[in-house]
Amino acid sequence: MTTAARPSPIAWLIAPAALLFVLFFVLPFGVMTAMSFYSGNPVTNPNAFLTTRHYERFIFDTAGIFHEALWSTLRIGLITTVISLLIGYPLAHWMARMQSRLGHALVLMAVIAPMLTGIVVRTFAWMTILQDKGVINTTLMQWGVIEKPLPLMYNEFGTIVALVHIYVPFMVLTLTGVIGRIDERLEQAARSLGAGRLRAFVEVTLPLSLPGILAGSLLVFALSISAYVTPSLMGGTDVLTLPMLIAQQVGTSFNPNFAGALGVILLLVSLTIVVAYNRILARLAGGQGMA
Amino acid sequence: MSAAPNRRPFDAGRAAYLTLNALLLTFLLLPIAIVLVFALNPTPYISFPPVGVSLRWFEKFFGSAEFMSALWLSLWVASVVLVLSILIGGACALALARGNLPGSALLTAFFMSPLMVPAILTGLALFQAYLLSGIGRPVWGLITAHTLVAVPYVIRTTLAVLHNFDRRIEEAAAVLGASPTRVFFEVTLPLIRPGVFAGGVFAFIVSFDQFPVSLFLVVPKGETLPVVLFNYMKFDLDGAIAAASMVSILLALSVVLVLERLIGLKAYVKL
Repeated sequence: MTTAARPSPIAWLIAPAALLFVLFFVLPFGVMTAMSFYSGNPVTNPNAFLTTRHYERFIFDTAGIFHEALWSTLRIGLITTVISLLIGYPLAHWMARMQSRLGHALVLMAVIAPMLTGIVVRTFAWMTILQDKGVINTTLMQWGVIEKPLPLMYNEFGTIVALVHIYVPFMVLTLTGVIGRIDERLEQAARSLGAGRLRAFVEVTLPLSLPGILAGSLLVFALSISAYVTPSLMGGTDVLTLPMLIAQQVGTSFNPNFAGALGVILLLVSLTIVVAYNRILARLAGGQGMA
Repeated sequence: MSAAPNRRPFDAGRAAYLTLNALLLTFLLLPIAIVLVFALNPTPYISFPPVGVSLRWFEKFFGSAEFMSALWLSLWVASVVLVLSILIGGACALALARGNLPGSALLTAFFMSPLMVPAILTGLALFQAYLLSGIGRPVWGLITAHTLVAVPYVIRTTLAVLHNFDRRIEEAAAVLGASPTRVFFEVTLPLIRPGVFAGGVFAFIVSFDQFPVSLFLVVPKGETLPVVLFNYMKFDLDGAIAAASMVSILLALSVVLVLERLIGLKAYVKL
């Protein structure tokens, strides 16, 4: 009864989504890319010409801020990723190995709850904790541990702390899936053969979860290099990242063409990472033959 | 059952493991709890420890015309996005799962791609496109942008349900004489409804909390709540922000509870 290869009438239901995506996703990114190669707005300005000068401006960086911005974007992304992994792994392992369903549901809720709280709100929470009159500094000063407030915010440190908090749930959820798929009996076998718990973990579970570690890390890296709210609120004048630079070009410099070029650069970096992420996940889902 | 834990009187390694995890959970949840403390603390600026309990910041938040118009705009946009993304995303998921489309795996990946691209770039690209085509920054442009990034969630949750349910139920209905239309409305639609609704709830939250996509698409005096909060926070850090944060957290939490009731969270958070 079901026609094997021919699309059924239900296939037409794809039309609204296809229209939305072509007009408001594919086309705009085309426009952004085109704009990045123009000297001005080609519609309103008849003198606008094709040029690669926006990319040259970035590459030669005579102002001396663009390479630094790219570098600090990548550095913040990398540190955020490593810390998220160190924090996320124990939580993910705990969740994946939890016997009680209620416990599992509760931890899952605890991990997801921050995800459902907006980025602006969570960044605000960290500002109240880390600022000079914030929770940590006042408490430490009252205890007499320190005399002057510690510089916990308006720098890279504060930015990274808040970014880790925002993106750890993504790491946990990716890792939980992968660790949960590792047969627990492998670890038990290693232990019954005389390995200690730590050794069984380091030599069996950890290597088997490597693809998950990679996938989670790539995801968190891709998310944190495109973060805007957190670095601009937590970083103060100390931190300038690529997304902040883009917003500056649109908001204060009103140079949408250069913003477009910066956008294309950020897009290329993050798409490379996302493709790698998908490759790893696809390989995970395909064969278990990674071990 | 076979893995019944062999309980020993005290296990230092296990205790350390559990303590570590408890600490990590605290790290995740404590900041949100702290926001509540500041929302209720009456001092004129953020200060710690709290000196009392008052509702003055909630009064300030609900009494401020700027915050209120932003809140209503956000709620309005999120509600329209919810409806649009349910319709567009639900239909798209059905087509992907039941339409016998060639290359449906590739198409699915394509419809997921707004989640892969940095959101701030989606905002930038739309801003450029609206600028070039002379559309400007109307509210419908913002709604369309939010719908674009919300639709993938609906597609994902609906596909999850479609892949999980037994196709033979539909076939049985057809064998028993139901017309394809009747099968669709009486079998398929009720079965996928929880998935579509769950996606709709995600869509609502994605829109309500949306910042990066909105950043370039809102006009002065027509800003959504996250944008207003962000601009306020650049200069002022007082309890009004905390109160506003509590309102959004409570909204999100009630939405999560609804979600949990509707369908159970577990199946839809797989990445």
